[in-house]
Amino acid sequence: MSIVDLRSPLDVLTVREAMQRLRCYLDRNASIQQGIRHTLKYKINSILIFGERNDAIGVVSKTNILGAYYVGLPIATPLNAIMVSPPLTCRLNDSLDSALDMMRNRSVHRLYVFGDEPNKVVGVLTYPDILGMLYRYCHKCERSTLRLAESGSTGKLSDYFRVCELMNPVFQVHREDESLMQVMDSISAHHSGAVLIKSHDDLPQGVVSTTDLIIAYMHGIPSYTAAKTIMSTPVLSCDYDEPLLMVIKKMIFFDLDNLYVYKDRSTNIVGLVTLSDVARVRSGSCRACKTSRIDLDD
Amino acid sequence: MAEKARDIMEIDFHTVHPETTIAEAVRTFKQASVHRKQRVFGLVVTDERDQLVGMLSLYDIMLLMRPKNIHIWGEMNDIDVTGFIEEACRRARSILVGDVMTADVITISPDTHLLTIVDIMIKKHIRRLPVVERSKVIGMVYTSNIFYELMERLLSGS
Repeated sequence: MSIVDLRSPLDVLTVREAMQRLRCYLDRNASIQQGIRHTLKYKINSILIFGERNDAIGVVSKTNILGAYYVGLPIATPLNAIMVSPPLTCRLNDSLDSALDMMRNRSVHRLYVFGDEPNKVVGVLTYPDILGMLYRYCHKCERSTLRLAESGSTGKLSDYFRVCELMNPVFQVHREDESLMQVMDSISAHHSGAVLIKSHDDLPQGVVSTTDLIIAYMHGIPSYTAAKTIMSTPVLSCDYDEPLLMVIKKMIFFDLDNLYVYKDRSTNIVGLVTLSDVARVRSGSCRACKTSRIDLDD
Repeated sequence: MAEKARDIMEIDFHTVHPETTIAEAVRTFKQASVHRKQRVFGLVVTDERDQLVGMLSLYDIMLLMRPKNIHIWGEMNDIDVTGFIEEACRRARSILVGDVMTADVITISPDTHLLTIVDIMIKKHIRRLPVVERSKVIGMVYTSNIFYELMERLLSGS
């Protein structure tokens, strides 16, 4: 096959093939509390908001909910008070490449999908959905980095990729007696999903994620409360030298988007590895294909 | 001739409370299925005053157990997933019904017409509806109740 015939899966695949059907949405007058319950129940990061004419008018994300918590809005406040409007959309037959472009340009990880009927949202396309779809194609491609790594050897994926190759050495840390408000400041400023909580003698004690924070909001815990009150323990982590497959297993097992990395001993946290990075590497996308460069943060 | 919810509803039904664990709720599902001689996929959730506060369905439990990012990992035939289901079950057992139930429940009254019930079930993709009178659940209408009633009418007319 000549080079000109090789097209990236991003150009060939459409939004229709990668998206998930819309199964969770709320009315504009639903409360923040209902919004939190929906994000927890459906394990999603944002909810589409519908108006009186059954049209999609906005989106409420966990970040918006954290903002409400930060400023002290009552939990019964209607979602339309905190939603972002209008929702960003694409169409069923758009290519994944154009969808990714829009995500990059607008700094979002999610687009809602219009169906064949005018202005009717039928699904949602997230960045992880695209990664999962690409796995299926890149994995079978003759240029897959996994295939090249394995050729002529009996090695497997786990032999060729280690956590240290992907981890990000930059992550947020807070002391256990710092307030939830300080943690929220940090999460917002650094666009991170979680912070590591350490004791005064610098030992990792737990993690506070956006999910932990919105649960605290739902339970009426004041934002001046110490982080240690709501942190998740223990700190789930993997070894610096651990094979990638073990990381994947932990992420699936524990429903994680991020995993801390330790070196030499479990109390020495040195970095963070994200779901997106792991999934991208696992897909085996080779450098010749623009699929390998689908990092949203570039 | 049955025309309204009160004519076809089942008055013998099982309930759970919001503080019930998922493990106990699943036991109740099993008991309800044996009692009804038919698989039961949804239970009414009532508070201490026997007032309706939600519904718990098998779908809610499946949502709970479903790994959040499962769709990213594809067929996962390159990962050893031994023990995943057992771990998911272990974690689900102690979760409370109140945390996963559907709180916005569509209900009908004893006088709701059968065809209205059909309409609700189709539009909202619902297979069971609690019949509520003075804030208390007095019965349940399942799609099977509707189906068998309509079946009888179809056959009697032919």
